[in-house]
Amino acid sequence: MGKFTYVMKNTLLNMRRSPLLVFATIIAVLVSSFLVFTTLSARSIVQNNTLRWQSGVHVVVFLDDRVTTTAHKQLQESLNSYPEVRSVDYFSKPEAKEEFQSLFKDQPELLAEVDFEILPSSLRINLNNPSDYTLIIERLEGNPAVKEIRSSGEAIERLLSLTNTLVISASSFAMLIGFAAFILIINTLRLAAYSKKKEIKIMRLVGASSTYIRLPFIFEAVIESLIGTSIAVGFGWAVIEYSKNSIVSESIFDITISDDYLIFLTLSLLVFSLVFGLFASFVGIRKALND
Amino acid sequence: MIKLKNVSLVFQGGSVAISNISVKIQEGEFVYLVGHSGSGKSSFLKLLYKEYIPTKGEIEVANIDVSKLPKWKTPLLRRKIGIVTQEPQLLENRNTYENIAFALEVMGGLPEEIEAKTNTLLDLVELNENAYKYPGQLSGGEQTRVSIARALANNPVVLLCDEPTGNLDPDLSIQIISLLEKINRAGTTVLMATHDSSIVNRRKKRVIELKDGKIKRDELDGSYIVR
Repeated sequence: MGKFTYVMKNTLLNMRRSPLLVFATIIAVLVSSFLVFTTLSARSIVQNNTLRWQSGVHVVVFLDDRVTTTAHKQLQESLNSYPEVRSVDYFSKPEAKEEFQSLFKDQPELLAEVDFEILPSSLRINLNNPSDYTLIIERLEGNPAVKEIRSSGEAIERLLSLTNTLVISASSFAMLIGFAAFILIINTLRLAAYSKKKEIKIMRLVGASSTYIRLPFIFEAVIESLIGTSIAVGFGWAVIEYSKNSIVSESIFDITISDDYLIFLTLSLLVFSLVFGLFASFVGIRKALND
Repeated sequence: MIKLKNVSLVFQGGSVAISNISVKIQEGEFVYLVGHSGSGKSSFLKLLYKEYIPTKGEIEVANIDVSKLPKWKTPLLRRKIGIVTQEPQLLENRNTYENIAFALEVMGGLPEEIEAKTNTLLDLVELNENAYKYPGQLSGGEQTRVSIARALANNPVVLLCDEPTGNLDPDLSIQIISLLEKINRAGTTVLMATHDSSIVNRRKKRVIELKDGKIKRDELDGSYIVR
């Protein structure tokens, strides 16, 4: 108990000696952890959404209404025979009208203005492998029954590519700030060790163990790291909760992310910050305490 | 208590601090280690508490084989040795009581044990009245006594003193020697490095004289004549 009290007392004393550096360190850890938390959460949200889209309709073939319905049926049959295709549903003009009315039921002005005759009938294709959408587009090119082809695959690919770019950029930035935090921790500890040079010398002379001399410094680094990460994770959770009820979630995005994933992410970040603090303290005081 | 066998210490660059020294100091002895500045006195003491590692030879202190002791076990050796340096090395922001208690605190002592032991040590070095004075308010001799009390905090079997009277006037030096003799009479082996001939010659003790890192003479009831 005596030892623990001594270590804790000295940890807090060290932190009180250079409050600005401690504050800067916590902020750097906070920003870095927040970036990691939010980008990984965002990636998970995007993956959830794209997964949902990928299980739905992959290609929509809008049909030319000037062509006979027999030609439409023939096209549907020929599509069904393709090995890449899982199912093809015919969507008639009345069904298209019904869907439009359902989608925009909250906008009566729009519904009043629209001429439903322009809504074409369509074939909605679900593929075994969503990435095969290009093959279908190639095969349908030039078909007189086809007016226009839309594919969700392209949009999904673009979104995933954009998300990956964002994740890589944000992660690189987080690493940069994390490195700054690392340097700050090392500097804070070195300053503390320097200011306690005489104390450390006496501790050595009277036979205090190296671990015991190091513990206040190790605790300091770990505490700073954990405080920064804890606040970052708290902010991260708050941002996600806020987004769930914000305008973003009412648009194309559904802000769904499992609590299990968030808990896993939180614990991983806390464990990482613990290891980060230990490593930074090891590097920070190794030379200072060996002199 | 202390054994050195063919011990040498050569620093990087080739300067020889200790050259092939062999010596034995029995339990309960009071020994003066004398010699001019640069003769190797401090290096000799630093070898004993593993501040320096010998280039060759064997060292044993308090039944611990210092030459084979791994670095991480050095604290175990130092808990058996009290070390007093020429500069008292006191913490300026702690008073006399706290400076002595510090040695017990860092060893993880319980508050009640620390209090009892610190008061005993204050009695021993006769600093009760100065217990709440800070180093800046103490004389040189008083500061050295604080440093001795701190060195005794962990009940060492050997007390190594590196010129503790180096900065003191003759009267204060005599007080410090009297204190060290008192500690020696209680059973602690004392090895004191000094180049102050008046102290050595006033009290007849064993004298080991070093010159250029070698033992020039080793005499019981010796004296120190500065040439």
